[in-house]
Amino acid sequence: MIDQLELQSGYARRWLLDTEMMTRAEDIVVCYDALRHFVEFVERVDKIHIDTLLFKLQGLKDIRTTIRNLAGKQVLDDIELFEVKHLAILAGDVAKLLKQHDLDSVVAIPPLDQVINVLDPDGMKIATFYIYDSYCEQLKQLRSQMRQHPDQQDDLILQADALEDSVRADLSERLRPFATAIEQAQLALARTDVLMAKAMQMRAMGLTFPELSLDGMCRYEGIFHPQVLAAVTSHGRKYQHVDIAYGLQPTLITGANMGGKTVVLKTLTLCQLLFQFGFGIPAAQARIDVKDEIYFCIGDEQSVEKGLSSFAAEMKNIDAVIKASRMNKKLLALIDEPARTTNPTEGAALVSALLRVLDGKDMSLVMTTHYDIEPGKAHCLRVKGFENGEMDYRLVEVRDGEVPHEALNIAQNLGIDTEWIETARAMLATQ
Amino acid sequence: MLPFIDEILRYDSLSIVGLEKNTGKTECLKYVLNRLPVESRRIAVTSIGIDGETVDQVTRTQKPEIVLREGMYFATSEMHYGQRRLVSELYDVSDENTSLGRVVTAKALTGGKILLSGPSSAASLRRWMADMRRLNIDLVIIDGALSRMSSASPAVSQSMILATGAAYSANINTLVSKTAHVVNLVNLDLTSDDNISRLEPVDKGLWAIDSEGRMRGLDALTSLSRDIQFEGMGDCKTLYVAGALVDGFLEKVRKNKDLKQVELVVRDFTKIFVTPQQLSLFVKGGGRVSVLHKSKLIAVTVNPTSPSGYVLDSDMLCDRLSEAIGLPVYDLLKNDNLQ
Repeated sequence: MIDQLELQSGYARRWLLDTEMMTRAEDIVVCYDALRHFVEFVERVDKIHIDTLLFKLQGLKDIRTTIRNLAGKQVLDDIELFEVKHLAILAGDVAKLLKQHDLDSVVAIPPLDQVINVLDPDGMKIATFYIYDSYCEQLKQLRSQMRQHPDQQDDLILQADALEDSVRADLSERLRPFATAIEQAQLALARTDVLMAKAMQMRAMGLTFPELSLDGMCRYEGIFHPQVLAAVTSHGRKYQHVDIAYGLQPTLITGANMGGKTVVLKTLTLCQLLFQFGFGIPAAQARIDVKDEIYFCIGDEQSVEKGLSSFAAEMKNIDAVIKASRMNKKLLALIDEPARTTNPTEGAALVSALLRVLDGKDMSLVMTTHYDIEPGKAHCLRVKGFENGEMDYRLVEVRDGEVPHEALNIAQNLGIDTEWIETARAMLATQ
Repeated sequence: MLPFIDEILRYDSLSIVGLEKNTGKTECLKYVLNRLPVESRRIAVTSIGIDGETVDQVTRTQKPEIVLREGMYFATSEMHYGQRRLVSELYDVSDENTSLGRVVTAKALTGGKILLSGPSSAASLRRWMADMRRLNIDLVIIDGALSRMSSASPAVSQSMILATGAAYSANINTLVSKTAHVVNLVNLDLTSDDNISRLEPVDKGLWAIDSEGRMRGLDALTSLSRDIQFEGMGDCKTLYVAGALVDGFLEKVRKNKDLKQVELVVRDFTKIFVTPQQLSLFVKGGGRVSVLHKSKLIAVTVNPTSPSGYVLDSDMLCDRLSEAIGLPVYDLLKNDNLQ
């Protein structure tokens, strides 16, 4: 999703990637509130206003090193002074645009007029920089001599260098008090870039604003996975949106192979992450609960570097979930077919036991499985499955976790070797 | 004013390309910079000079300094900007990091000396040229070395001057025929507009294009591959080599019965590493080589002196070369002395 954000500056991307996931409801509310204003802006104004703002934001550069040098009592060189001036002018321009569209209360950019004044002694208001003649009368005279006597240039340049150095030291000293404001302006510009990109993405992908859930229940209507949706529709097929709700008791999803169970888990994980990073949610409606930590365990990741088999890697992942559940944190764990690679007797026992171990913890657990297990208090959902030769991906509530026996039918439909399938059918009949 | 200065002003970009070190590329650049009407034109200079640059970076020996005139714009690395011997106003700092720091663009407020070292990749050079258009620059000059080490190709410029000389070969016959070969490559025709828009974004692989314009990737990544299969190429009118074009590949295409009239497209002349013999056999067999980017070759300059001290006869060299390539050839040092 971040890859598909149309950010204007590399710095905004870095800032976004460095951001920590929000785990406080207040922060998430504030974030969505700001985004709502930007979505409203994007929908309200003509494209030219959007493009003007986006074009400005392209000028945002990462000058953290320069700001650090300034705060750290160093003398800035010409390039660094240029960067500061460029940012200050950009911040002023963007602030003006935001004010014009009533967005200045949403993103506050500290005014840097005094910074501009220091670096623009002639009041030119353009984002270029050199050690201007007006900083130093003596320098001005030296430079006019340089133009008149190019033959003495080398000597004159040496003298000018010393004067320029003292101007730089003076400028750096005068800018030093504004280091924090400059840093804040840079962050505010990055935030504006991110909010614009999120707002445009919401419109382009048909995303929705989530409602905040306070009772531990999460409820999605018409949820979809943007990447899978794009892949499916590009093949000219129809993507089926799914409704799903889960709370603090475990949710068990069963269903035929190829029924989209893993996609559901991936989509739920994505939605939770998007929610806690303040993005639009890929669903018609969404009500989401804030979690402290999110675990997504998919069984088929082998860890060759660590020398773990797929079973070992999976056990370690689920082990981390159990350990975290004892740490008094609000968790969301999404586990795809745990213990699938081992024998069914022990596998089923491991899954049943996992349900019991995690029971009563302050967590939401959504798990898929093919094993027939005792669901206990779990809330059971089943993929509707194969009907009239077509897969119905919707989820229906069932009273227990009984798994459908459709594997042979589906395999047959895939055109798998008949002898193999019929032999399996015959063996089942004799059992 | 020599005629080619007028011709330079007809284009928005010029690259000066040296066929070898010490063929007088820097002399040529200095010559051009000294004679352009800086009062009436906005001119920006940069270098994609990789020629000798690795040596520079290792030994830290200085590359030749260029003297800029007041009012000229230039792009160089942060490190060389710090060593400038002129007063200049900063216009831009790029995001791209080279081994000598970021590339900065500035305007000279006094005349003076500067070391040039600009964008080093094809994409960043193109970006810089677009930036210069936004600054209303009339003419961009690229000091460009021919080198396999840089992905930035001088062929993105509209016009070009080639610098050759005794350093390229001390034998006048060899020098003339080697230079004429490069001139041939620079003068290769552009492919069709359809092909240009289709192939421009493709920067990898070997591709066959049929008469309907459908593209099919060949089973090899580069033309260096030994086992390239041309099966079912009956309908293939065009082959595209995104990377380097080498002799072996050209020979294979020439010997394939299905590919008698094929058009072979390469990105630009800097990607062609074939001998004149193979190229001429290919063309005689009915094949054609064309490019996606082409610069108008304005002139060829010669430096008759080799670094080892060997000197060729300047007049004879200019005449022989001019006859072979059908373009004016200048010995700038000699012309300079005459003025």
